[in-house]
Amino acid sequence: MKGSASETVAFEYDKIRDFLNFEARLLDQRKFDEWNALFTSEGMYWVPLADQQLDPVNHLSLVYEDAMMREVRINRLRHDRAWSQQPRSRTAHNVSCIVIEASYPDQGRVIVGSSFMMSEWRSFGLRTFAGLYTHDLRVSKDGYRIAEKRVDLIDSEGVFEPIEVFI
Amino acid sequence: MTQATLPVVDIDALVRADEVHRDCYVSPAVFDLEMERIFGQAWVYVGHDSQIPAAGDYWTTLIGRESVVMTRDKQDAVHVLYNRCPHKGARVAPEGCGHVKGLFRCPYHAWTFNMDGKLRGVPYREGYEGTAFDIEDPRFSMKKVARVANYRGFVFASLAEEGVSFESFIAGVKSSLDNFCDRAPNGTVSVAGGVFRVMQRSNWKVFFENLNDTGHPIATHESSYRAARQYSNEKLDGEMPFQLHIIDGNGASPKFWSDLDLHAFDYGHSYMTAIFNAPEDPLSKAYFETLAEAKGEAAAREVLAVNRHNTIIYPSCSPHTSFQQWRVIRPISPDRTLVEIFTFRLDGAPEELLQRTFIYSNVVNSPSSIVMTDDVHVYAECQKGLETQGGDWVSQHRNAGQDQPYEGPDGGVIGVGSSELPIRNQFRAWHHYMSESTTPQAKESGS
Repeated sequence: MKGSASETVAFEYDKIRDFLNFEARLLDQRKFDEWNALFTSEGMYWVPLADQQLDPVNHLSLVYEDAMMREVRINRLRHDRAWSQQPRSRTAHNVSCIVIEASYPDQGRVIVGSSFMMSEWRSFGLRTFAGLYTHDLRVSKDGYRIAEKRVDLIDSEGVFEPIEVFI
Repeated sequence: MTQATLPVVDIDALVRADEVHRDCYVSPAVFDLEMERIFGQAWVYVGHDSQIPAAGDYWTTLIGRESVVMTRDKQDAVHVLYNRCPHKGARVAPEGCGHVKGLFRCPYHAWTFNMDGKLRGVPYREGYEGTAFDIEDPRFSMKKVARVANYRGFVFASLAEEGVSFESFIAGVKSSLDNFCDRAPNGTVSVAGGVFRVMQRSNWKVFFENLNDTGHPIATHESSYRAARQYSNEKLDGEMPFQLHIIDGNGASPKFWSDLDLHAFDYGHSYMTAIFNAPEDPLSKAYFETLAEAKGEAAAREVLAVNRHNTIIYPSCSPHTSFQQWRVIRPISPDRTLVEIFTFRLDGAPEELLQRTFIYSNVVNSPSSIVMTDDVHVYAECQKGLETQGGDWVSQHRNAGQDQPYEGPDGGVIGVGSSELPIRNQFRAWHHYMSESTTPQAKESGS
């Protein structure tokens, strides 16, 4: 697999930025089904536990979820007896510093880095998550699809209260 | 005197045979006394020696309010020291896991210490000539905690010079520590994959009570087991892959829970028989082969026949022997508890088994667990309710008076799976520790 920044011209930066903003907005609007549909069928949502973690299989992760586990999480978030979702989490994302880290036009693949902050309000108050996103995107006829969304929290090895929604 | 500065707490008035007073959970004076009398006396889990495999390795943690560091020296001995420089008091070892080249060096004035805490060097030596300073005097070395025990790699420490031996303390649940290790073809286990850290807005005892509480899963975890079943029914024709199977287990019938056995022992320990049968998929069979090769088939079957859910080693940790999880409970304040979750490799087992262990841990013990979040929520709700004037007593009546002495392996007391036996048993130990008016530790600091 070869790629270089010079080839990024094949991808339209504005569309990628719009896609990342759209994705974050779906989460903030609790449109979880639409959000989940942005992934490829094998797509993974990954929040590593360690700094610079290379491997989601041979190490613990804060989250490593496929389509099934994301959907179960979504089912739970909607359940009337999701006790810890009373009141429901409300979130606001900011995505910025979007850069195209690598592109593979022949494979319809582009890897996008960005910074984010997510504020979340829930029963115990307001808290903030911050970190770096790495989106491994595929171009399809329906637009971009997520093969992997990696969320590197700056405090991934710190102490957490339960995390319920997607970051 | 230490004793005179402590508020008066009438321990006998707080604990009855089948209920306890809410002050046990919310009173700062009770919490202070717990730090002295329970965490100042009991054998408290420090860490596993695989976290410090080489000379110069260290791991910092808490025993009650005491910042301590577990170290390994060049002779391969493991030490537990108070993490405090005898000079100005700075913590010598940085937080967490790390390595130093043979000696600690205080970041403040560069006093250096061997891994056993012995003072090695002091800058400006000439300035100490003619003073009371003596490099050989133990009070100028890092202080060792009073007693340390290392059982098959699991390191426990007691801050009290005197008290029950580790062997007597652990007797009831020693079989769980053995089973934890015996499941490894090599007979040893090692910490792997990182540490989850979860803060709970509740008293440490609330979490301990939950660990063997079979009354809560069907109510507390309804959202997650319903979500798993919904997916299974809609997308998989009712099939339950491993992750969904784990989540689904909480929705078992009351009869299922009642039919489990609860075993309770002295010093607050207990364990529950397993919720899940040993899996029989290809990976489990491959694992069994490696275990049978190492031990012989009969011995391997015997090891796997000991199938338990949570074991409680009061007041500091809870191993899950079948899925190699180890939860460590650190009280922070009356309404804050830090839980650290470690995952272990069974040395000599197929690497895929560890990968499955990580999957289990990701589902059940991650801060992002869709199961645990409802637990942590109800713990906080308990804490908030107990802080009100709505009632002074907390019920432990379920199957009270029905516990029976157990004549089988490990002895102790047995109760039906739905019993609140483990909770009553924890408070029996709590009362025992809290009634000890002084410890050698307290005497020393009060003199």
